Amino acid sequence: MKIIEHYYGADLNWVEHYAKQIEGKIKGNFIILPEDSQSGTRYFLDCGDGIIAYYINVEYHRNFELIQKNPNPDFVGFYYNLTEGEATVSSGHFMYNVGRWQYNLSVIDGSLESRYNVGKGSKTFCLCIFIKKSMIKAYAKKNNIVIQNIDTLVNSQENTIVRFDRMSSESFHLLNDLRKLEVGGSIFDLNLRGTVHLLISNYLKKIATKRIIIQTVNETDLDNIITIQMYLINHLDHPFPSITFMANMANMSESKFKSLFKKITGNTANVFFMENKMLLAKELLEKKQLTISQISDQLHFTNNSYFASKFKEHFGLSPKAFNKQL
Amino acid sequence: MRKVTHTYSLTPEWQLDLAEQLNTKLIDNKLINIPNDLGEGFFYFSQIMNGISVVYADFTLKEPLKITRLKSQNELFIFHFDLSEHVNLIKINHIDYEIGSFNQLDLAILDNEIESSFKAAVNERTIALRLLIDKKLLHDFVQKFKQKENHFSKNKTNKKAFYHYGNIDSNSILLIQSIKNKSVKDLSFDSFIKGISLKVLGNFFNKFYESKDTTTQLTEIENDAIEKTKNYLLNNLYGPFPSLTFLAGMAGMSASKYKSLFKKHFNNTPKNLFIEEKINLAQKLLKSGEYSTLTAVMYELNYSKLSYF
Repeated sequence: MKIIEHYYGADLNWVEHYAKQIEGKIKGNFIILPEDSQSGTRYFLDCGDGIIAYYINVEYHRNFELIQKNPNPDFVGFYYNLTEGEATVSSGHFMYNVGRWQYNLSVIDGSLESRYNVGKGSKTFCLCIFIKKSMIKAYAKKNNIVIQNIDTLVNSQENTIVRFDRMSSESFHLLNDLRKLEVGGSIFDLNLRGTVHLLISNYLKKIATKRIIIQTVNETDLDNIITIQMYLINHLDHPFPSITFMANMANMSESKFKSLFKKITGNTANVFFMENKMLLAKELLEKKQLTISQISDQLHFTNNSYFASKFKEHFGLSPKAFNKQL
Repeated sequence: MRKVTHTYSLTPEWQLDLAEQLNTKLIDNKLINIPNDLGEGFFYFSQIMNGISVVYADFTLKEPLKITRLKSQNELFIFHFDLSEHVNLIKINHIDYEIGSFNQLDLAILDNEIESSFKAAVNERTIALRLLIDKKLLHDFVQKFKQKENHFSKNKTNKKAFYHYGNIDSNSILLIQSIKNKSVKDLSFDSFIKGISLKVLGNFFNKFYESKDTTTQLTEIENDAIEKTKNYLLNNLYGPFPSLTFLAGMAGMSASKYKSLFKKHFNNTPKNLFIEEKINLAQKLLKSGEYSTLTAVMYELNYSKLSYF
């Protein structure tokens, strides 16, 4: 187990210290990693307006414990964490599993000392966004958002912001798109900034619509729903399993399953399934390996025209038109 | 016809003048609602980052409106993405260009040094995204663009200023389409539009730099099939040339498709490749000295006449 103490911040001062701790070197916006303990990419970017983006796509070759102690706690960190493997975030009185199929969005106040444990062989893909607290406050004021007790909320002495949540599938696909790109260069920077803005937009939308914070859901229920989500994503090339089947699988009554699924993912199971199917279809089209009818067959659509109409309904563009201008 | 004029700058001041001409108010330095007598809709302006700003327009007009952009000293390029499902007109140097997703020409890049005017169609929903970008930021881009200029059919360049006319890529269309479904009043709209704009720009450059390598793309399946037939040919050099129909059947495609793909892939026709390889083999056999006469080699390789061989 390798233990590392480091800090983050809403400016780039932390980078040098951080690189030194993990025995890496800074080159441009990259942190070059020592191959023996972890391999992959770490990339940081100042997005302006007191926002820092930190892109991590690495595989760990040994166990790590990263202790975060911030000397300047004037920021909030948003961690979009899609780790495949074991990872936990803990602090004095709590511990949560994070990663793609666990809590994959954590919002943690900079004033909180936290430990991040990640196991050997885990593949981490994570986008961290650090935002200055004063920015959040100014932003909320500018846009007339009423967040109750905003002053106490951003005042670190009285209240620390800690949230563990699941990101919306929209956010997930944003990250997936980002992941496809080659890191570095001005084009990537544009995309990274764009993604950061869109993620913030998504998060604000979520606050505004006051969807429930998942932390309040019973843990086994949450696990069950997430298992179903995983099942659906792994079976996109099958017909939609019935609600009865899924409710059975999750050990719940149908009505409980339906309402809980909607609460947690923000959509009904069918809409969730179709949405992911469409996104998969789009990805397949982008790869240019299959024809439209092959894709339609593979994804179990009854016929091409139904597929085309669904595609158009979802993206506002027919698959043919999409292919043409790719 | 109503006429309004305006200039562009990266900062919000320019909107004041436009709002005044339209007899309406500028809200929050960002939003101009189109007055009811003229139609419905709005212009939305936001500064994305140093050197990049965005104007998003979504409106339906009741009477014709001509929006003329005067040239100004600001060193800017304007990327105009048009997603209207009908034809709008952009006038540059007294020539009208049709623009809109209807006829597939939906992207225009304009220089702030050239005056242009925009005429939107009446009673149709016009949707356009304009990115204003500082020239300094695009310096590298412009230089490459000028070198590549010949590859674009419809662009003209005078010494300092240029414009270009082309297509948006699918992913950007999807992105811009998704703005349509958002409400400006949403508090997330501002960061949403910023994000979309940056991604659209990223896509544009991506396409731009990628278009340089024009290697023809075959799908993996086609590739495998063609490799398979080529290997078959090379393993059967002693026999006669199998027919094209046979090879096409083996690859699972029509003869004409097979032929054209083969040519793309190996820069040669199947028959030619076969003969070349056969002659190479003949040379090897002759050099090996295992055959006493030319005729023996000839028969080995399945030629019927020595003279032909």
